[in-house]
Amino acid sequence: MIEKKQPLLSGHDQWKALTRLLTYTSPFKKPITFAFVLLLLMTIGDVLGPILIKVFIDDFLTPRSFPFEPLVALAATYIVIQVGNVFIMYFQQVKFQEIALKIIQQLRVDAFSRVQALGMRYFDQTPAGSIVSRVTNDTEAIKEMFVSVLVSFIQSAFLIVGIFIAMFILNARLALFCLVILPIIFMIMKTYRKYSSVFYQELRERLSQLNAKLAESLSGMVMVQAFRQEKRMQDEFGVTNQYHYNAGMRNIKIDGLLLRPAINLVYMLALLIILSFFGITSFDAAGGIEIGVLYAFINYLDRFFEPINQVMQRLSIFQQAIVAASRVFKLLDEKELEPHQHPESSRSLEEGEIEFRNVTFSYDGKQEVLKNISFRAKPGETVALVGHTGSGKSSIINLLMRFYEFEKGDILIDGESIKKFKKEDLREKMGLVLQDPFLFFGTVASNIRLYNEALTDQDVREAAEFVQAHTFIGKSPDQYEQRVVERGATLSSGQRQLIAFARTIVANPKVLILDEATASIDTETEEAIQVALERMRKGRTTIAIAHRLSTIQDAEQILVLHHGEVVERGTHQELLTQQGLYHKMYLLQNGLPQG
Amino acid sequence: MRVFGYLMWFFKQEKKAYIVGIGLLLIVAMLQLIPPWLIGVVVDSIDMGSLNGQDLAKWMGILALSALAIYVLQYLWRVMIFGSAVKLSRQMRERLYAHFTQMSPQFYQKRRVGDLMAHATNDLSAIQQAAGAGVLTLVDSLATGLFVIATIAIMIDAKLTFIALIPMPLMALLTNYYGTLLHKRFGVAQAAFSDLNDKTQESISGIKVIKTFGQEKEDVESFRELSSDVVAKNVAVARIDSLFDPTISFIVGSSFFLSIVFGGRMVIAEELSIGQLISFTTYLGLLVWPMLAFGWLFNIVERGRASYERVSQLLNHPVDIKEKTGAVDAQPSGDLEVDIIDFKFPNDEASALQDVSFILKRGDTLGIVGRTGAGKTTILKLLMREFDGYDGQILFDQRSINEYKLKALRGSIGYVPQDHFLFSASIRENVAFTDPSVSQSVVELSTKSAHVQEDILGFRNGYDTVVGERGVSLSGGQKQRISIARALLMDPEVLLLDDSLSAVDAKTEEAILSSLKETREGKTTIITSHRLSAVQHADLIIVLDEGKLVEKGTHEELMEKQDWYYRMYVRQQLEVLVERGGTRHD
Repeated sequence: MIEKKQPLLSGHDQWKALTRLLTYTSPFKKPITFAFVLLLLMTIGDVLGPILIKVFIDDFLTPRSFPFEPLVALAATYIVIQVGNVFIMYFQQVKFQEIALKIIQQLRVDAFSRVQALGMRYFDQTPAGSIVSRVTNDTEAIKEMFVSVLVSFIQSAFLIVGIFIAMFILNARLALFCLVILPIIFMIMKTYRKYSSVFYQELRERLSQLNAKLAESLSGMVMVQAFRQEKRMQDEFGVTNQYHYNAGMRNIKIDGLLLRPAINLVYMLALLIILSFFGITSFDAAGGIEIGVLYAFINYLDRFFEPINQVMQRLSIFQQAIVAASRVFKLLDEKELEPHQHPESSRSLEEGEIEFRNVTFSYDGKQEVLKNISFRAKPGETVALVGHTGSGKSSIINLLMRFYEFEKGDILIDGESIKKFKKEDLREKMGLVLQDPFLFFGTVASNIRLYNEALTDQDVREAAEFVQAHTFIGKSPDQYEQRVVERGATLSSGQRQLIAFARTIVANPKVLILDEATASIDTETEEAIQVALERMRKGRTTIAIAHRLSTIQDAEQILVLHHGEVVERGTHQELLTQQGLYHKMYLLQNGLPQG
Repeated sequence: MRVFGYLMWFFKQEKKAYIVGIGLLLIVAMLQLIPPWLIGVVVDSIDMGSLNGQDLAKWMGILALSALAIYVLQYLWRVMIFGSAVKLSRQMRERLYAHFTQMSPQFYQKRRVGDLMAHATNDLSAIQQAAGAGVLTLVDSLATGLFVIATIAIMIDAKLTFIALIPMPLMALLTNYYGTLLHKRFGVAQAAFSDLNDKTQESISGIKVIKTFGQEKEDVESFRELSSDVVAKNVAVARIDSLFDPTISFIVGSSFFLSIVFGGRMVIAEELSIGQLISFTTYLGLLVWPMLAFGWLFNIVERGRASYERVSQLLNHPVDIKEKTGAVDAQPSGDLEVDIIDFKFPNDEASALQDVSFILKRGDTLGIVGRTGAGKTTILKLLMREFDGYDGQILFDQRSINEYKLKALRGSIGYVPQDHFLFSASIRENVAFTDPSVSQSVVELSTKSAHVQEDILGFRNGYDTVVGERGVSLSGGQKQRISIARALLMDPEVLLLDDSLSAVDAKTEEAILSSLKETREGKTTIITSHRLSAVQHADLIIVLDEGKLVEKGTHEELMEKQDWYYRMYVRQQLEVLVERGGTRHD
């Protein structure tokens, strides 16, 4: 995937995204508290270990006195704490990750629900790939941050505080000296973040340029070769490659200057402070030095720096996650929603009379694709829409299905505005068969039933029989349980269409809306489809887009559309005698003028 | 470790960087032995009360110096070793790209761009990892491990070393075991994630169906279930992942405990000083990293090996279209004589072309018409030598096209493809694709001939408007005309228009055809088209059906025959009428 250039977020935006992310933790207050208690226990255990050893060194080893019982007690305490800590540490880590995963799940479900609530306009404007990316990949990046950055950040913070408390208890003066390293580390972190966020961003951008260039060259290689530009393209690629290399080197350098080596340097500095402190103290207070304390301090230092190293190395994950989060939030805040139904909409579709009254519609607010369309379909009647591509046939169906909102004119159902019906009711009573019969991954039965679990196997079978789909379904060994792969690629287009018919008919709609398939359908299913269509239309109001005029000759009314206007209307015979556009279309489809 | 063998050529090429880098790495590993040793010395001096200011200053001086040296050297080896690794990926990427430019269309038909991209990105990055982090981990963990163990065994106590190290191999074993488990569970979690991804993809592609049946809530519910599954599988990963830290902490803790207990006894027995004991435990701390690193190392080199093998396989893919030795370098110009007896696409049973022969005089225009899949484009592909291996021959200026160098042959041909591919660049760069150095007036001349100049000037940035995937979106007709301008700019001996006027309206089509006639006086043009109006004025028209030549002649001759061409012509006239809304007007 080619990545678009990421906008640099301001500090304020980053903070906003982060705090909004943190609001997702609120349903998990209890488990979070529990995890924090575990973390606290673990930190205490961690900090206690060196203190016990200090006791051993100062109270027993240095004075060379070894009373058996206290010594065993000390060792036992140490072992118990160590072993106990191992378990606490494990559960604490699992708990934190579990919470993070659940938070992300909530975010994902929210994003997906929002997508489902968006209007078709949004899907027209946004490539499917980028929507998918928001729901899955971006949330995955946030997961990375929760699991590996936030959790280790919290753990490190606890440990650092715990270590300092222990240091202050052991030797307040030395602990005070050791505080010096905190601002130094803070400075290094700040500097690193400042530069690396820029450099890292640049590296990512260079990489996406490199990939874009590569992807484009690969898809256009035939052109490159036809025009003999191989050498030039290689040179250009070399330049992009070089930029990427330079950015990579810059990152290695900044990492080398400010990451592990720098933290290591600070560690040495701290060591120097501690050793000097003890050394200098030993000059005037002979025998007053507790070597155990020295040991404990050095041991704390060893533990102190590893978490800092880890947090710093993961700062870039944090940066990416924040960018990802802001994109997810943008989707969550998307305003391009589905058309709204009237709040007190309670009408239920009974008769199935449909009327368009002076409907004018435009997708973009500029170009009108429907101009003042009016027609009426009485219950049980068929109205057929014919016309050239772009004449406005599909737009009529889009409005009738409430995929898009219209402003001018009105659509009436049973004499009442379509906006006053409950959405669920409209969906239930109006059955649309799309031109591209989209099948989902699953089985034939699951594709007919969709999510409606109330339908029995018998219902599914009857629907399939009704639309003549049973013939081919019955031939497969697995019958209704045969697998349907992605988009139903293993079935012929005609078979897919029949399954889509069954899916519509099983819901027993009052109104049928057909967008007839133009795709080439094999002759075997062609016949089945025609029979099925006829049966389905019986007793239902039908609005049909017809590409093959032969299929709608018995329609009560045929509307011929051109550039968003109804230019001819009438029955098949009436239109033929008019010798207008319909007549010409008819000629085109039914053998040509003799010659 | 085989990957290091594969990469030997690169290590040799970057000898200096690797030798110096590894040398520095070894020095750092040695310098890191100093601080724990110093700790021991200082503690002992304090313990014995023998520490004086001068000594302390000296020790601290050594500590400070070694700290600085370590910092500088660590920086330098990173630049050397990691820098070389980045260089490797740049070099291999360049080589791969050069190889891609030599692959035939056949190669690109067989492979998806996404797969090829994956090789150039993921695989190269795995190889880079092996040459950088892989080398580092191998050298560093071995060196640090050996140095530390040698130091404590020799300088402090061999027996204590042995006792303290007892738990350590267990750590290597356990973490390795967790690693395999983690890998497996991670794979399962990835699969669950990819299911979720597929589900999302499907829901969005099928959003209309979902909305039609009012199943939004149910679909969200099904999404929630799948995402719960993702959570469960990831928690399984977390359960293993969380084992690492406690295990390490436990084993390191036991090692410490053992050394304190046994070391303490040795202190009493006066075999060891307290300072030595403390420096011993600090040394132990240094051993943790090499133990862990070994686990990662296998992972890194294994991935590097697999990736390297995939990339090599790609690089070794032979070049399909070869030039004959002694091929002619001069760009051909003259009559075209096509006589194809039989041509099948590679791995295809059916013939794509059969018994197609015609002679096209220099300067004439040929029209090729026929249904989709009749073989119109195939003839052009053979002309450009995108494919070889047919019975029969194609002569250009009385010499087989196989006798010319590829560059020479393609230099005579200007090709406007069906799927008008434009690059993500400015319009000027796209038009001047064959020669970026031409002047603006030349560019304008060809856009004028292609009747796209007005459109271009209508854009806010004119000729600097960026088009393609990341630029403004052009209409199909605009793209086609820019493609035509691009081919016209090279003023080719033979111009191939592969259904390149399908998206422009009839009027523009006519204008373009007549300006071509004017500007291309004396040069050959071949037009394939669905619309017969585009070839109506050609000197010769051939009609193809299922790869066979079924009609041949001028427009008038073919109309007279009242066969396929005639029927198609009448039909298209009617279609035009319907498109215009049934009335005849211009």
